[in-house]
Amino acid sequence: MKKEIRIGVYICHCGFNIAKTVRVKEVAEFASKLPGVVMARDYMYTCSDPGQEQIRNDIKEYNLNRVVVAACSPNMHEKTFRRVVAEAGLNPFLYQNANIREHCSWVHEEGATEKAKDIVAAAVSRVIYHQPLETKEVEIKKDTLVVGGGIAGMMASMDIANGGYKVHLVEKTSSIGGHIIQFDKTFPTLDCAACITTPKMSDTGSHRNINLLNYSVVEEVSGFTGNFQSKIRKKAKYIDQTKCTGCRLCFDSCPVVMKNEFDMMLADRKAVYIPFPQAVPNKAVIDRREDRPCKASCMYACPINTNVPGYVKLIADGRFKEAYMLIRSTNPFPSTCGRVCYAPCEVACDRNNIDKPVAIRDLKRFADEQVDADDLDIPEIEKTGKTVVVIGAGPSGLSAAHDLAMLGHSVTVFESLPQAGGMLRYGIPEYRLPKDVLNKEINYIKRLGADIRTGVIVGKDVPISELQNDYDAVYIAVGAQGKMKLGIKNEDLPGVIEGVSFLRSAALGENIPLGRKVAVIGGGNTAVDCARTALRLGAEEVTIVYRRTINEMPAAPEEIEAAKEEGIKIEYLTSPVCFMSEEDTLSQMECIRMELQAPDSSGRPRPMPIEGSEFTIPADTVITALGQVPETDFTKKIGIALGKNGTINISTETGATNIEGIFAGGDAVTGPGYVIDAIAAGKTAAVYIDRYLKDESLEWRPEKQVKEELTETEITGLKNKYPKIERAKMPELPVRERILGFKEVSLGLGVNEARREAGRCLAGQIEGCIQCGECARRCGVNAVNLNMKDEIVELDVGNIIVATGYDTFDPSVIKQLGYKKYDNVMTSLEFERINSPTGPTGGQIRMKNGEVPESIAIVHCVGSRDKNYHEYCSRVCCTAGLKFAHLIKDKIGADVYEMYIDMRSFGESCEEFYNRVASEDGVKFIRGKATSVTDKAINEEEQGKLIVSVEDSLIPKMLRVPVDMVILLVAMQPRDDSDDIARIFLLNKRADGFFMEQHIKLGPVSTMTEGVFLAGCCEGPKDVPDSVAHAKAAASEVLSRLALGKTEIEPTIAIVDEDICSGCGLCVKICAYGAPSIIEPQHRSHVNEALCKGCGACAATCPSGAISHKHFNFKELLSEVEALAA
Amino acid sequence: MTAVNPFKESTDMFLNAGGEALQQCYQCGTCTAVCPWNLVREFPVRKIIHTSQIGLLTEVGEEDNWICATCGACEERCPRGVKIIDIWRAIRRVGVQFDILPKALKPVMSSLESQGNPWGDTRENRVAWTKGLDLSPFEKGMDVLYFPCCTPVYDRNARRIALASVSLLKKAGVNFGILGAEESCCGESARKLGNEDLFQKLAKSNIEIFKQKGVKKIVVSSPHCFHTFKNEYPELGADFEVIHMTQFVLQLIEQEKLRPEKPYPKKVIYHDPCYLGRHNKIYEEPRKVLSSIPDLQLIEFDNNREDALCCGGGGGRIWMETPKEERLSNIRVDQALAAGAEVLALSCPYCMLNFDDSVLNMGKSGLLEVRDITEILDSVTGEIS
Repeated sequence: MKKEIRIGVYICHCGFNIAKTVRVKEVAEFASKLPGVVMARDYMYTCSDPGQEQIRNDIKEYNLNRVVVAACSPNMHEKTFRRVVAEAGLNPFLYQNANIREHCSWVHEEGATEKAKDIVAAAVSRVIYHQPLETKEVEIKKDTLVVGGGIAGMMASMDIANGGYKVHLVEKTSSIGGHIIQFDKTFPTLDCAACITTPKMSDTGSHRNINLLNYSVVEEVSGFTGNFQSKIRKKAKYIDQTKCTGCRLCFDSCPVVMKNEFDMMLADRKAVYIPFPQAVPNKAVIDRREDRPCKASCMYACPINTNVPGYVKLIADGRFKEAYMLIRSTNPFPSTCGRVCYAPCEVACDRNNIDKPVAIRDLKRFADEQVDADDLDIPEIEKTGKTVVVIGAGPSGLSAAHDLAMLGHSVTVFESLPQAGGMLRYGIPEYRLPKDVLNKEINYIKRLGADIRTGVIVGKDVPISELQNDYDAVYIAVGAQGKMKLGIKNEDLPGVIEGVSFLRSAALGENIPLGRKVAVIGGGNTAVDCARTALRLGAEEVTIVYRRTINEMPAAPEEIEAAKEEGIKIEYLTSPVCFMSEEDTLSQMECIRMELQAPDSSGRPRPMPIEGSEFTIPADTVITALGQVPETDFTKKIGIALGKNGTINISTETGATNIEGIFAGGDAVTGPGYVIDAIAAGKTAAVYIDRYLKDESLEWRPEKQVKEELTETEITGLKNKYPKIERAKMPELPVRERILGFKEVSLGLGVNEARREAGRCLAGQIEGCIQCGECARRCGVNAVNLNMKDEIVELDVGNIIVATGYDTFDPSVIKQLGYKKYDNVMTSLEFERINSPTGPTGGQIRMKNGEVPESIAIVHCVGSRDKNYHEYCSRVCCTAGLKFAHLIKDKIGADVYEMYIDMRSFGESCEEFYNRVASEDGVKFIRGKATSVTDKAINEEEQGKLIVSVEDSLIPKMLRVPVDMVILLVAMQPRDDSDDIARIFLLNKRADGFFMEQHIKLGPVSTMTEGVFLAGCCEGPKDVPDSVAHAKAAASEVLSRLALGKTEIEPTIAIVDEDICSGCGLCVKICAYGAPSIIEPQHRSHVNEALCKGCGACAATCPSGAISHKHFNFKELLSEVEALAA
Repeated sequence: MTAVNPFKESTDMFLNAGGEALQQCYQCGTCTAVCPWNLVREFPVRKIIHTSQIGLLTEVGEEDNWICATCGACEERCPRGVKIIDIWRAIRRVGVQFDILPKALKPVMSSLESQGNPWGDTRENRVAWTKGLDLSPFEKGMDVLYFPCCTPVYDRNARRIALASVSLLKKAGVNFGILGAEESCCGESARKLGNEDLFQKLAKSNIEIFKQKGVKKIVVSSPHCFHTFKNEYPELGADFEVIHMTQFVLQLIEQEKLRPEKPYPKKVIYHDPCYLGRHNKIYEEPRKVLSSIPDLQLIEFDNNREDALCCGGGGGRIWMETPKEERLSNIRVDQALAAGAEVLALSCPYCMLNFDDSVLNMGKSGLLEVRDITEILDSVTGEIS
């Protein structure tokens, strides 16, 4: 027998909320006559205790089996009345709510009673079909996910963690602390923000129950209340956090200067950074945002791996001294190399694929010219007590001396010539490398403590064996000074001079008998140097004689070009045969033409004389520049192994000779070579001499970074992305002036040209880390790993607290306030940084030009309480403005004008603070919204000031207030990424854009998604005390759920009638929560109760009507609609 | 509306002149709303405070800025406890400093300066009222110095206060004396008018003579003298007891040294003078004196005690011309009549001047008697034999 339906209906007055517009008695009377209704009554407050009691009693007395309460929204009290019904022994789902408040009395004046009747009739009609449903209990996972490490996130995490539960705290920046740690002081007590926050940060960071995931973001959350699965992306930090000691050594050397977000872009940081001194964790991260477009081939091409992308970027950024110091960190001869290096880097430069290489050498010289090496401070170096002797003060010997001195060893250098410098001084002419430039570089090495003793010939003045005994280690870098002979007739004539000797004599200023017509034999840089020097010494006609073509000529192309410009002739494919004399004086040189044949052992085409092509060149002087050999006989006494042409045999990786403690390098080992190779040899030897002196193994090898090649695709990409830009041309002295003397030919790049040229570097095109690896080179604990990748962590949690905070409003959209237009118009958060001891000015209130402002306007409600931006009040600005005023008065005593609409300085002690700031600090309050800021003065008073226009509505009068600084109290607004956060955590956003709480008063931290809570300013603007209270409330919600350990799942979910289902799968597609799936072999849909959120999408989609939705089935819905339509 | 620049120096001037209180004001407007002047004319107290706060008050000499009668109604209600009268005093000090005070005040100042009274009369004439009264000059050992105030001394109408007072003192057998020409004006209005130097001079001269004569206790007729002696002289080194005549005669009645015997079957309404009431919270003693008189029916204004309406005579206003239609005392007379009073009882000489004048000018002489409390008491008290 079908059970009789007995419905009780309650019409609530809700005080006057409903009763004012709805004639409640009439509605109750109406309801009592509806089918199935046994009794109906109205009551003042149905939700109150007596109201609830009434329902329970009626259920018993009238034997009710259905209940309808017509009152407020089900969001408010559906749960209450379901509980009441259940207490009286009915299934709670046999209850139906009729909303006659939000849907009726609040929105209607007339006809409200009639509408209320309709709503009640619909509810009655529906409740007849309600079925008893059973709620399910599920366990709540013990871990909690807290998103956001500001004050709210920290406080919530601590409360839960202190309760003995595990918390995973995800923070997207590298440090927790949030906005509060950016502040200087906090109102109204003026306690220092750092003092109240850093202990909390530290406790949070070290709490055994808190798993801090900094530099991480939540990417995905799935599951359901009590059982969420989250995916968290731990962004690559490129620094092993377990190794990093927070020493900050890597910061100094990083060439990528970026704006520090923590300092509101008012101060710089490096790409490798810790955002502020008290950061937690206090570990560096590398801000790498994109891959470098080139492979930095320059670095690998350089024998000493100079950080070219680094210093070039610093030049592009205008940081010239830093660029110089970066060069100097690996190269003791920046001035020299900036002038005479053969620049293998430029050959390798990836820009060659687009147009021409970056003018790296010229940029190095530019950086060098911005700094006087004599002004450099000498670092304090701890002495090791070990002694090293270096033989030969050329580039290799001096480089070794430099590095060894830097390592704390006592270095003595012996040099046979009167001055140090070797080939740099005696081989390279003044017009290419001015001596005073060289002297400064050598002087720096002397200042480091290297004892350079010149005019001492080892092997003659001092036996090498003595040195071997007297010093702990020896480095032989005597170069290649021995002459090579042509082996042709009359080579001994006085007019035939050896090239290197010629250059040396010229450098020494000796009188060299030079004829009018000079021929130079050879094709290397020495030959060109000799030719150009001869020209400068007065030769009328200079000819270079070279046996191959210009293509094979080893001299630098620019040198050859310069020689030609100066009028020097070059006879290619020409070889001397013999010298001819008149009266024992050289008169001409007989030559023969050559032709090129198959390459020889050096890889160059072999020149062969052409029979019968002899001719003569008139010459008073011939300079032979054929190359040199090392003069190393003196080493034989102690048994050092030598190779061909007297070169010293070494282990090329360490510089060690066959005799323990004796190392060698440079031209003495390789024969004549380039400066940079000699420097590299000296530096390598220094590393291993140091190891030798410390008794460390010489088998150790530095980690080699593998050079990558650009792929074809990458090259095409580069060509498409980067337009051709002309390479800077080095300005030179005009030829006429050059040949008159030894003035330096290259004049150096200007600042603009240099910065522009540096801007061509591909590595510097990207934002963030340029992957130059300088940090890795500096790191003492090997913490840097540039190959790190983002990591995905999956965490199962029972509850989630979203504490993602707020952004500040960007006032530049209010153009008339002059933000970004005038230097001294700043936002509140920027001013916080200016005020903070850790900020860009060290807490000194200063204008951009460094001066102390005499007057400051504080403009309230910028972006707040303004329909054009944010309609809401940001709640903190008034008191923050008072705080600023007080701090300004306290620090600099400037005049302060608060320009406000209403002063809303509410909260504990805030009114007192307001009173104090007004009366004690003498701040001037102008009631009115500042409408514009300009620098256009209209009278003497306003000259040089920012003039704020405001109507003082208290007088009323239009004011123009001249001030030095304007602080805009900008609105707090939802985070930029709040839409993403809302999507991930299934949150709703209010019209103001902040996340919506479950109930404005009674559910301030809960959300519509059970198990997800809000804390702090993501829910709306709050001051610190309110944020903390909010956070603690969220923690309390979580803890109460954890204490219970389980939660109920609404049974109002979808259910599939397998007899009807065709297994089409549309439900699977439509469901956002992955609840339905097709079960095989039945090939029918099945809904996972735990996953179903009860949204109804599948039921509405199902073409065959196989899916129904419990509590919202067709009968229930249709009967409700039918009653409304009746 | 042309925009103006705030003139910071002007604010500093007021601050330096003792107007620090102006910084405390948060511009709620209570002062303007409660200021009695706004019953009869516009007096934007809040607005003037604000203009001085931000440096836009430059017209210090304008008569509009000298309106305040320092009645204290605003301070009584100010939610921030701002000493508003101090602000006015500071503004006036600046006026005095630049000699831009209203014309009417100049002779008052010079009379105070040269003769020690504001009434333009000679110092010698200070004793004119005592003629034939056989009063003793104060000398050491006397219990009380009677200090009548310049107004009863020089003004023929107000003289009745002094006469009634000494009569009562004699009846009660009080051992008292007067200083006569040796005393000077208490300086209250000089101070309120911003002439601090003059106030200091007058006060110091009085303190000196009091000390010299060995004065321990002073009975005063004027609440203004009372306020100044009691609250301001101590800062300058004064050390003596001050008591207002109404308080003193109440003591005498309670000690039965005075016995109000004759019936006074009239409806008497008591007007609280600002400086006895709001400024010094003396509300009950005058009423008790009146209540002690047989058959006297004491009635009250609706706005009595701290809500009492000012007569308009304080703060130096007594020497400035107030147009008929703006006289607060006229309103008070109407209020008294409306309450059914036959006699308006007073306890302040300034009030007496204003009310005598109002009753006369309003043609209400026959309807409302203006009496000092001492007059009424004297009329019902016989000699204690």
